Amino acid sequence: MAKQIQSERSYDWLQSLRSGEECAFAEFIDKYKETVFLCCRGLGLRDDEVEDVASETFIAAYKGLHRYSGKAELSTWLWSIAYRQAVNYLRKNRRKWRLWTEPDESIIGGPRAKEPEPVSAAQNSEEADIIWAAVERLPRLWAMAIILYYREEKCIADIAKIMQARKNTVKTYLFRGRERLKEMLAGAFTESASVNG
Amino acid sequence: MDKLKDKFDPELDGLTRALQRHREPVPADFTDKVLRKLSQAQEQKILARVVLQERLALAGCVIFSCIAIWATTVFPEITEVLFQSIAKIVTLQGEALAYRIRQTIIAFSTDWQTYMILVGGMGLAVYSLIKLSFGNGLKTTQSHK
Repeated sequence: MAKQIQSERSYDWLQSLRSGEECAFAEFIDKYKETVFLCCRGLGLRDDEVEDVASETFIAAYKGLHRYSGKAELSTWLWSIAYRQAVNYLRKNRRKWRLWTEPDESIIGGPRAKEPEPVSAAQNSEEADIIWAAVERLPRLWAMAIILYYREEKCIADIAKIMQARKNTVKTYLFRGRERLKEMLAGAFTESASVNG
Repeated sequence: MDKLKDKFDPELDGLTRALQRHREPVPADFTDKVLRKLSQAQEQKILARVVLQERLALAGCVIFSCIAIWATTVFPEITEVLFQSIAKIVTLQGEALAYRIRQTIIAFSTDWQTYMILVGGMGLAVYSLIKLSFGNGLKTTQSHK
């Protein structure tokens, strides 16, 4: 019963959103702003760029809401818009963008791609912070795949749609991302244990 | 998803929990800023549409005038016939309209009593309809109070 009421409420909210009601759109922004910021920062935009791209994402979403069919989840749909906006921004404003999309593993993450470094556990007090710091050090596409799969709990098909990539490519990003995370975190937790011990 | 987790994740069990615990910092006034931007964009869109309409109207006037001048100089006879027929049609239509208005005034002046009764009846019907629709509602609201 509660589920039915919730789904009815969400249907009504979606209808209000589509009809362009400002209150519903404000609620929509509040609900998803963190996601959009995460996507922009995850792709390597600077803090001064993130806000502009996030605003553009929401404006694009507002304009395209009447085309949203409801087949995909609303968050997945918004993720695709945010991803596209951020990528387009990077293409326009960063010369290194072309390198960033090369399939070469060493440069797949652009300026962020580095040799796996152990994350210092002494710098981060909590385990979650350590893991997040490790994810931030991953090449961007791997980090995006990891965030979408683990944090947002999207399926591979949805991630492939959002990242405009093949499913196998996404699986590769996830596999490599996890492998590198394991290497980084092994170092971090060993260090943490020795510090605590 | 579980299959993949089993395959890859024996050492990364807490990954989902840890990543979900992360909070991305967002400026407090971000929603207001976006809404403001959106209304500005809509205003600009409306303004652009009005400007476009005006430009089109102006262009239409200029083009029509140019065509008229060109047609008058190149085909003076055809243009004369054309304008004469347009003027004739406009005059005829105007006369017909004036005649109909005159006839209505005459009919009303000769038979005004009947029209007054009809108008009275119509007024009463409209009043009853309004009372029926809104009068009860008002009473109910008052009685609830």
